[in-house]
Amino acid sequence: MENLAILPQLLMNALISGSILALAAVGLALMYGLLGILNFAHGQLMILGAYLLLFLSQTLSLPLLVAAPLLVFAGIFLAVTILHLTILPFRNRSPLLCLLSTLALSIVIESTLALLFGVNVQTLAVGLTPAIYQFAGVFVTSLQLLIVCSTLLILALVAVIMGYSPFGRAVRALAAHREGAVTLGNNERQTVTIVFALGTLLAIYGGVLVGYDQSLQPYMGTSFTIKAFAAMILGGLGSVGGAIFGSYLLALVENLAIGLDLGPWSIPAGFKDAFAFCVILLALLFRPEGLFQRGQRKF
Amino acid sequence: MLRVEELALKLGEVAILKGVSFQVAQGATVGIIGPNGCGKTTLFNCLNGFHRSAPGTIFFRGADISASSPYLRARSGLGRVFQNSGVFRSLTLYENLLVALEARDRVLFWNRQKVQHNRLIAQYLSDFGLSDKAHDKASSLSGGQLRLLEIARSVAVGAELLLLDEPTAGVSPKMKGDVERVLRKLVELGKTVVVIEHDINFIQNICQRILVMDQGRIVLDDSPVAIRSNPALQDIYFGGS
Amino acid sequence: MSYLVAVFVLTLITLIVAQSFNFVFGLGALLNLAHLSAYAIGAYTTAILATEHAYPFWLYFPLSIFVSAFFSLLVSAIATRLSQDYFLIGTLAFSALVTALLINWKSLTRGVLGIPGIPRPPFLTSPFVSPELAFLILVIVVTLLSLAILLYLFQTPLARALRAQGELEAALVSLGRDTHLIRTLALVISSAFAGAAGSLIALYLSYIDPSSFGLHEMVLVLSIVILGRPGHFWGVIAATFFLCLLPEALRFLDLPSSVLGPLRQLLYAVILFGVVFQRRAVLFPAVRRI
Repeated sequence: MENLAILPQLLMNALISGSILALAAVGLALMYGLLGILNFAHGQLMILGAYLLLFLSQTLSLPLLVAAPLLVFAGIFLAVTILHLTILPFRNRSPLLCLLSTLALSIVIESTLALLFGVNVQTLAVGLTPAIYQFAGVFVTSLQLLIVCSTLLILALVAVIMGYSPFGRAVRALAAHREGAVTLGNNERQTVTIVFALGTLLAIYGGVLVGYDQSLQPYMGTSFTIKAFAAMILGGLGSVGGAIFGSYLLALVENLAIGLDLGPWSIPAGFKDAFAFCVILLALLFRPEGLFQRGQRKF
Repeated sequence: MLRVEELALKLGEVAILKGVSFQVAQGATVGIIGPNGCGKTTLFNCLNGFHRSAPGTIFFRGADISASSPYLRARSGLGRVFQNSGVFRSLTLYENLLVALEARDRVLFWNRQKVQHNRLIAQYLSDFGLSDKAHDKASSLSGGQLRLLEIARSVAVGAELLLLDEPTAGVSPKMKGDVERVLRKLVELGKTVVVIEHDINFIQNICQRILVMDQGRIVLDDSPVAIRSNPALQDIYFGGS
Repeated sequence: MSYLVAVFVLTLITLIVAQSFNFVFGLGALLNLAHLSAYAIGAYTTAILATEHAYPFWLYFPLSIFVSAFFSLLVSAIATRLSQDYFLIGTLAFSALVTALLINWKSLTRGVLGIPGIPRPPFLTSPFVSPELAFLILVIVVTLLSLAILLYLFQTPLARALRAQGELEAALVSLGRDTHLIRTLALVISSAFAGAAGSLIALYLSYIDPSSFGLHEMVLVLSIVILGRPGHFWGVIAATFFLCLLPEALRFLDLPSSVLGPLRQLLYAVILFGVVFQRRAVLFPAVRRI
C-alpha cells in the first residue's frame, strides 16, 4: 500500500518539525512552570532571533563564527529586557495583565520586523545547497539531520541540567513553591532570569533552524506560539518533559494526518496548521478532571 | 441533614482526606477543629462539589449529591462562607446581596421582583448592622464586616446548612461577639451550622458537637466538654505531651 | 467630506465590536480571543450570501448575526468550563482555526483571493443623499440600536453575575449560579453584535479577504476597552473615538501602505502596552485564593 511506503518519510518529517517545536515548547514550559505565565510573544522571539541572524550574516556580511556569539549576547540581552519590562511588573497581579502585555509585545515585534525587513518571504539559507541523503526510502538534507541531532543533544543537556544540577534543583524548588512565593528574593530573581534567558535562547535557536530549513516571514510567529501551547497542553501544562513529548506527538499527528492518503478523507496540506488547533480544542474538551491544580477548573 | 460516608481525596500523589465519615442532624451546630493541613477546608471543598471525582458518598437532605455540580448543591440549600472571604469586593454591599437574590430567583435579563429584593436587602443589612454602608464598595469593609456580609448573603440565597470556614479569623474581638450572635440567631431560625475554627473558646460556646480532624481523618467526635479534657487532643495539636 | 464619512463609518463599526467586547471582557474578565472571529464570520456570511446567493439585506443581516452567535455557542461549549489560562488558549485556538479555514476552505471562501463585489443594499439608493451618506446613516442606525441594547444589558442581573464570576467564580457558584450558563450567554451575546459589525464592514469594503481579520485587530479592541476602563460603557465609547481618530494623523505623513499597515499596528500595540502598564495597579484584581 502506498501509505506504508511513505510512512518512514512522514516519521522523519515529524521528527524534524517536532524537534523545532520542542525547542520552542521547552522554553515556554519552563516559564509557565516557574512563573505561571504564558508568554504570548514566544513565537515572535523565535522569528526575531532568525531575523537578527539574517541581519548579521547577510546585511552586515559577518561570518557565522562572529555572528553566532553576537546573536547569543543579543538573545540574552533581549530576554532580560523583556522579562523586566513585560513580565515582572505584572507578576503579582492578575495573570491577565501578563497575557495582555506579552500579546502587545508580540505585535510590537511582528510589526517592527515587517517595517524593517518587509513582508516578503526570506531565508537564511541563501546560497547554501545542503547535501541530501537517502536511506530506507527517506530523503533528508544534512541540515535536517543537524536539526534533529542538535535538538536531541540540547534537550538531553537541558534534562540533565534540570534534573541533576544545583541550578536545576533551585528551579524545581521555586516552581513547587510558586503558589506561596509572592515576592522574589534576589536569588530567585536570578534563577528566573537565567531560566527565561535559557528559554529565549532555545527559541532563537529554533527560529534560526526554521530560517535555514524553511523560510522566514514576519507574521509566522503566532502559529508557532499556538503550536507550542498545543504541545504543552498535550504533555501537561507546566511539565518540561511533557512539552517535549507533546511536541513530537503533535508533529507526528500533523504529518500523518496530512501525509497519509486517506482516500476521500484525505486532508489537504493547507490545513496542517488548522490541525494543531483542532488538537488543542479536542484536548481541552476531554481533559481529565483534577489533573493539574493551576489553570484547571475543578468544576 | 448531612451524611458523609468514606470521603477520600487524593491530589496528585498526596492523600488529603482518608475515609471521612460523619453525620450532621438538622438544626445542629457542629464544629471542626484540627491542626493546619489536616484537610478541614478540603473537606468543605468536597462538600461544596469542587472535587466531584473524589471517592465516597455525600447525602444532603436525603439525596445523594456526590455527583452534583457545585451550583446545584448550592441551590438545594448548601451554603458556604469562605476562609479568605468570598465577598465580591468590586461590588457594593447592596450589589453583593442583590447578586445573591438574583441567583436565588434565577433572574437574568429582567428582575420582576426588584422592589421585594430591595426591601429584603435593606432588612438584611439592618439585621447585620451594615445599613450605613449599603452603597459602599465591599473592599472598604473590615474583616468582621466582610464575614457578616458573607453570612448575610448565604442567608439571602436561602441556605439551610451553612459551612463556615474560620469565621473569626482576622476578626477583632468585639466583632467576634457579633459573629457569635449572628450564628446563634441562625440556629434559632432552624439553620444547620458547621464551623471550622481555630478559636476553641469560640467554638465551645456555640457548638453542641465537635469533630477533631488530623491528617485527613476524623479522630474524635464528641461534646465540647469531653473534647476539651481529652488528652489525645494535646497530642494532635502539640505532637505529644 | 467622503474621507470624514469613511473614518466615521469605520469608527462606528469598531465601536460595536469594542462595546460588545467590553461586555464579555470588561465586565466578565473573559479574554475571548475568538471575538474577532465572530466578526469575520459575520462578514463572510454576508459576503457569501449577498454575492453568490443574492439574498436581500433583511435576510443576510440577521443570518450573519445568527451564524456568528452559533459559532460562539461552539466556542462556549468548550471554553466556558476552562479557567483563565486555558480559556485564553481555547479561544486563541478557535480564532486560529477560523483563520485557517477562511484561507483553506476555498470552495466556500475563495481563500486568499477573497470575495469581491459585495453589493450595498438597494434600499440605500435615494435621490436625496449620496450613497456614501446613505450607508453612513445605516451604520449610525445599527450602531445606536446596538448601543441601546448593550446599555440595557450592562444593567441587567446577568451583567452583575458576570462581574461577580469575573472576580470570584467559586463564590458565585456557591450562591447557586450556573456560571457556565452566564459565560455562555456573555460570549454568545457579544459575538452576535460582532457578527452584525462584520456584516457592515463587508458591505462597506465591498471586498473582504482573510487578511483583514487577524489577531492584530484584537490589539485595537483591547486597547480601547482598557483605555476606556473595562466595564465602563461610556468610557469605552470615548476611547473608541480617541483611538480610531488618532492614527488618522499618520495619514498626513505621506507613507506607502506597506509601511502604514505595520506602523499602525505597532502604534496600537505600544498604546496597549502603555495603558496596561500604567493601569496595572487597578486593572483586574489578582485572583484570590479562597
